[in-house]
Amino acid sequence: MRRVIFVGIILGYLFSAAAQEKVELFGYFEPTGMGVKLDNKIQQLYTNKLRVDLKSKVGENVTFAANFDYITYHGQTLWNILDFLAPGVTDAVPPAMRGLYTIPFSDRHFLDNAYLKIAQKYFDLTVGKQQISLGSGYVWNPVDVFNIKDPLDPTYEQPGHNAVRLDVPLGTRYTLSSLYSADNSWENSAKLIQFKGRLLHFDYSLVVAETVWRFHDYTQFDFSQMMFSEMPEKRQLLGLNTAGELFGLGIWAEYGYNKMESSKDYYELVAGTDYTFDFLTYIMVEFYRNTLGKTDHHLYDINDWMRMYASEQKAICRDQIYALLSHPVTDFIDVGTSCIFSLSDNSLALVPTLNYSFTENVDIMAYLNVNFGEKGTVYSEKSGNGGLLRARIYF
Amino acid sequence: MKKTIVFAVLVFSFTLSPGQDLTGKQIIQKVNDIMNVETSWSKSKMTIVTTSGNNRTFVSESWSKDRGEKNLVRYLEPSRVKDQAILMLNNADDIWAFFPRTQRVRKLASHAKKQKMQGSDFSYEDMGSGDAFINDYDPKRLDDEKIEGYDCYRVLLSRKPDSDLSYSQLIMWVVKDNFVPVVIDYYDEHDAQRVLKRLVASDIKVIDNIPTATKFVMYNKNDNTQTEMELLEVKYNINLDDEMFSERSLKK
Repeated sequence: MRRVIFVGIILGYLFSAAAQEKVELFGYFEPTGMGVKLDNKIQQLYTNKLRVDLKSKVGENVTFAANFDYITYHGQTLWNILDFLAPGVTDAVPPAMRGLYTIPFSDRHFLDNAYLKIAQKYFDLTVGKQQISLGSGYVWNPVDVFNIKDPLDPTYEQPGHNAVRLDVPLGTRYTLSSLYSADNSWENSAKLIQFKGRLLHFDYSLVVAETVWRFHDYTQFDFSQMMFSEMPEKRQLLGLNTAGELFGLGIWAEYGYNKMESSKDYYELVAGTDYTFDFLTYIMVEFYRNTLGKTDHHLYDINDWMRMYASEQKAICRDQIYALLSHPVTDFIDVGTSCIFSLSDNSLALVPTLNYSFTENVDIMAYLNVNFGEKGTVYSEKSGNGGLLRARIYF
Repeated sequence: MKKTIVFAVLVFSFTLSPGQDLTGKQIIQKVNDIMNVETSWSKSKMTIVTTSGNNRTFVSESWSKDRGEKNLVRYLEPSRVKDQAILMLNNADDIWAFFPRTQRVRKLASHAKKQKMQGSDFSYEDMGSGDAFINDYDPKRLDDEKIEGYDCYRVLLSRKPDSDLSYSQLIMWVVKDNFVPVVIDYYDEHDAQRVLKRLVASDIKVIDNIPTATKFVMYNKNDNTQTEMELLEVKYNINLDDEMFSERSLKK
């Protein structure tokens, strides 16, 4: 009840402020239904998300923007990751600990972004919780140390991060950016510098970053913290990124070398290309290598799987290819399919997709996820065939 | 002195005479001059009309500089696309799209120009990219014709072999009085006899001394749909900084 009152007060304030034309108010309502077939039984999870954005020009060249998210969950709100894994992996988990691998979906509301942006002739300064988008890869971004995209839905918005960002334009072709995302100490805070430029028909950037990677040991449970043991480790990244056109094809590439404080260094590489045919069919292919991933699926352990499901690690297999084919069948309906093939364990996820612009401000999106891989592979049938239906109503 | 004035008047009237024997190239050069002003700003409304009568309306603002070499388009309505923006530089050889929901700027290859603008019957290529009529097509004057109530020059524009544009040829009807193209037929890339789309311009107004068509309808012969575009406001030769046409500006 208190939550409802809180949300009511916030929305009431926003609407009254908007009525005075001080604030631009917009956002969307997004009901989603998803189902997964597991052991011949279909399990369902339904969510309702309300996102309210506000934007206000609070002074000459000064903008305040924020968004508030409220999400409710219904249906199967407790999912045990072990149900999706091969027996060879789950056998190592003691029966008494099995319940610890459950991911709960509880109703939540939070301030996703809230920042102040000062745009001057010689710099842009953004302070507060803000989205950080780095790299030109469509599904994977080796130079992005802040976000991990969902390969089934790579264009979905990413959460905001608390940061101070300074962008300094050097003419119209170059930009120097620096970013500081504070943690409990200077050492543990994320720092990033990016130099971005343009050469002929190519954009390129050089990224240097340092952050603390907070992944967990999912075999050790810390009962004092009531969570799996955290294994923070300093990570230093040197990244390169480029995007442009060659022989009429769109091409992009991203590389990130990660120097780790205690574990083995690794690198990530993305290379992609796309093309639109005259008959408007669009095709894209993206290759991804992550040397943190393994080349043999028999070596995937509980930590690999949990880190992937908890979005701590981008991939558990070394090499993957993502392909997307889409075509506008009418002015308002796009159909297509994406597939993700793991070259390391020969498993495949096929994702037929439909996007329908139902009315001016209502989009409907649906996809199926059908996996073709043997037990224990990253896209195995065991890890769940399913689908998702989502509407988004903008206001 | 008198002789000089008479000569000047003669030259002036000769230059403006609609009946003069202009070549296809000269006509297209004049069309290009009128369409590509040094700088411009406009606010426009685009309405997609489907056979089912299911209409969609978009409102956008656009800025242009260096005679159309630099372009920035930002959507204002509806909410679904609000603040989405597209930056085109070097006559649309370099394109970037900004998606505010993800705060992501994506560099697009030139093949993206073939894609429909928000599902409309206009492709990004149709919206014009600087000197495309001059650089990508060879013009040839055809017989004059009256169309849409205007006396017009008729010009065939055949795609140059090295051009990557999507149409094999265009036929353009240009109003003799003001060099505004009032009708353009777009022909299939693989079948030069097949008209894919027809653009009809109307409501010509003189804005800042420049004749400007303020309404356009693109008829899609393939899909039997049409898209209307109306210029709500236009300003020419305004002050625009180069900074306006940068990735930084795209995000604003």
